[in-house]
Amino acid sequence: MTTQAVTAADSRAASKAAASQRRFLGGFLGSFLAVLAAVLAFNVVVDPLALAGTGVVPTAVEPDRSIKLDLIQHLKRGPQILILGDSRGRQAEPSFLHRLTGRTAFNAAVTGGSAPEAHVFVRFTADRFPQQRRRYIWFTDEGLASGIVQPQLAQDPRARRYLPDVPGFGLGDVKTYLSTDATKDSWRVFEKCILAACHTKINYHPDGSLTKQSLRYLPEHAKSLRRSVAARLAGVRANRETVRQARQELAIPGRFAYLDRMLAFMNQRGEVPVIVLNPLYPSVLAAEEKNGFPAHRATMEKLAQLDKRFRFVVVNCEDMRKWHGTKRDWSNASHVNRANMRRELRYIVARSDGVLR
Amino acid sequence: MLFNSYVFLFAFLPAVLAGWWGLSRWKPLRLAFLSGASWFFYAWWDWRYLPVLIGATSVDFLAGRWIAASASESCRRLLLATSLATNVGILAYFKYAGFFFGSLNGIGRALALGSGLPSLHVLLPIGISFYTFNSMSYTIDIFRRRVEPTRNVLEYTTFVGLFPHLIAGPIVRFTDLADQLRRLTPRLTSETASRGVFFLSCGLVKKLLIADQLNPYVARLYTNHGHLGLATGWAAAVGYSLQLYFDFSGYSDMAVGLAWLLGFQFPQNFNSPFKAVNISDFWRRWHMSLSSWFRDYLFIPLGGSQRGARRTVLNLVVTMFLAGLWHGAAWTFVVWGLVHGLFLGSHAVLRKAGWTPTSATLNRALTFLIVCAAFVIFRSPSLGVAGDVLSSMLGLHGLDAAAQLHALLPLRFTLLAAALLVLVNVAPNTWQIRLRPRAWHGMAVGIATAIAVMTISQPHPFIYFQF
Repeated sequence: MTTQAVTAADSRAASKAAASQRRFLGGFLGSFLAVLAAVLAFNVVVDPLALAGTGVVPTAVEPDRSIKLDLIQHLKRGPQILILGDSRGRQAEPSFLHRLTGRTAFNAAVTGGSAPEAHVFVRFTADRFPQQRRRYIWFTDEGLASGIVQPQLAQDPRARRYLPDVPGFGLGDVKTYLSTDATKDSWRVFEKCILAACHTKINYHPDGSLTKQSLRYLPEHAKSLRRSVAARLAGVRANRETVRQARQELAIPGRFAYLDRMLAFMNQRGEVPVIVLNPLYPSVLAAEEKNGFPAHRATMEKLAQLDKRFRFVVVNCEDMRKWHGTKRDWSNASHVNRANMRRELRYIVARSDGVLR
Repeated sequence: MLFNSYVFLFAFLPAVLAGWWGLSRWKPLRLAFLSGASWFFYAWWDWRYLPVLIGATSVDFLAGRWIAASASESCRRLLLATSLATNVGILAYFKYAGFFFGSLNGIGRALALGSGLPSLHVLLPIGISFYTFNSMSYTIDIFRRRVEPTRNVLEYTTFVGLFPHLIAGPIVRFTDLADQLRRLTPRLTSETASRGVFFLSCGLVKKLLIADQLNPYVARLYTNHGHLGLATGWAAAVGYSLQLYFDFSGYSDMAVGLAWLLGFQFPQNFNSPFKAVNISDFWRRWHMSLSSWFRDYLFIPLGGSQRGARRTVLNLVVTMFLAGLWHGAAWTFVVWGLVHGLFLGSHAVLRKAGWTPTSATLNRALTFLIVCAAFVIFRSPSLGVAGDVLSSMLGLHGLDAAAQLHALLPLRFTLLAAALLVLVNVAPNTWQIRLRPRAWHGMAVGIATAIAVMTISQPHPFIYFQF
């Protein structure tokens, strides 16, 4: 074979290799971008966290904020007591509270509810029934309040008017919707809504309380209380913080903006809310106290500061021995069931300085 | 800026690649652009420490030139000492001063002498241990007349500051890059790009889909150090060893891939370390650029293994003590280094006496177990925590209760760790995989990378960033 022929063969082989390398790169770039684009499109369409506002299917997060706004909208008479807070407060039965106080009540506690939700429900109920003064029970945890507005609250037009400066869909949301977590949520919604029935198994009475049938479908309904407590204890041990860290967490700018607004609004109307610190499972509380419970100390300091500016009553229910709770009446390590909630409500009414009577 | 972040992957990297290859006709401009981009990358973390990097770079560049130009041996020694003192001084102040004062105060308190020294809280500049070692190797090699100094300051700033290796290695020597910097790759070929993409993707997958998935389980085990039993103790040791390997080798793969994309070739940093048949073999496979640095610039100058068994053991212990201290200013790293020094020393003695096992499988298993046990000290925040985990591994805390196993050793973690153990013992490493440049291979790599990128939402820094 001549030198020229060898050179030509080499050159052909080289260009063939280069072409296959280019195909590799093309395949890489094409599939990489296609997967990301498909994931983003899927998540935006399903919109599991209600960030894009497409509204094609219900969100992955429980739509209880909108449900409870609906229920308040359809109430014929304004409730005399409004129950606010997170999933711990959802177990509170307005009918039982009526038996204890003789006053009508509505349960506006929602999953993951914090100060923005409470603020919206207080203002919405006040606008719906403007002539009525009201009592409030707000179930909350250590740390008291979050200033973060959950997208599912911000997406509801009835809530949005009480939430100034809530931004629209932005670059940060693109990042969220490229994540595996959001994709899992989308798939959950997709599976539920497209492949099966698209309705929640958690239902509410007109007074905002959970129907009996709903109780076993609650996300906090643990299969094994013992395992749930063990996991929570491991979490407590894993996240040991100092008092300084706990104070720093409470000093995050904007954290108490909605709480301040809500308390100011209530006090302006001559209303005094009852702030209830949610119970902790006895062994979890013991583990926290063994570490000095920095979050509790920082929270009490914050409440003392707020007490100088606002009027409210604090009922600390963290230790269930105070309200004669039992260890077996817990749904999981952080949620009491209905039986314990009744005991807790008795204690709250008795310790609320007559505010609820 | 982390390699595993959106801002790096979708903004910084495309911009740098476009600029670097767009300026391919003008070498000085190219090097200036890459140095500037690397400094920007460094300053993204904290711009106040950029002068430290630039200062160290300037001193070593000048020292290198003057050492080469000087005919007097004493002058050359003085210049080398100046360069080494600058680098060691930077390390001593930023990395070790707080530890040193804190330890002295601790000793003072223990002896009831009080704690008279001020407590220093100096923020550790990221990547300081890596770029000072890069720079030191440059001046030492010039002093030893093994390399010619560069006359081009831009070549040198690019060598020290090159962003793929700036933060966490590999510790690249000037001899590795000198020719590549002198004759820059004129254009990005599809072969180079394919290799770069492949290494980068492998690194992302290792870091995001493996190391970061292990992290929460391992962290939970170590925070419950006082409650671990036999199984959970070993899970903590093995889990962390795997996490560290996939984290750091993932970073190294990404660094190599990024270098390829810029037309540079970096040395290999990991060579299947868990396939090592003895502790000496392990150190030839784990963090190879650091091991060879300590071998060439410390162990051999101390006399290496040429001065009898006792001196060899001493040299190994001293070298590993300093290697441990290099990793971090804490007693855990010191002890970890000393333990490895003793392992290496014992192995040298046993091998000479012919007392090492002959079975390769047994050797591999033993090496893996002692390496895992030593990594417990490396991972633990204090020696007390390390003592708790190690004693649980010895069975001193008994067996685990069923609830404990359920809480700390979920099935997902157990399966993942088991699969990874098989993988590190059987599968080829990134350098051994022969890339087949076919479209569907590219698609497979692209899909894996996209899945890895989807887990970025809250990026975790690489473990070796703290060093």
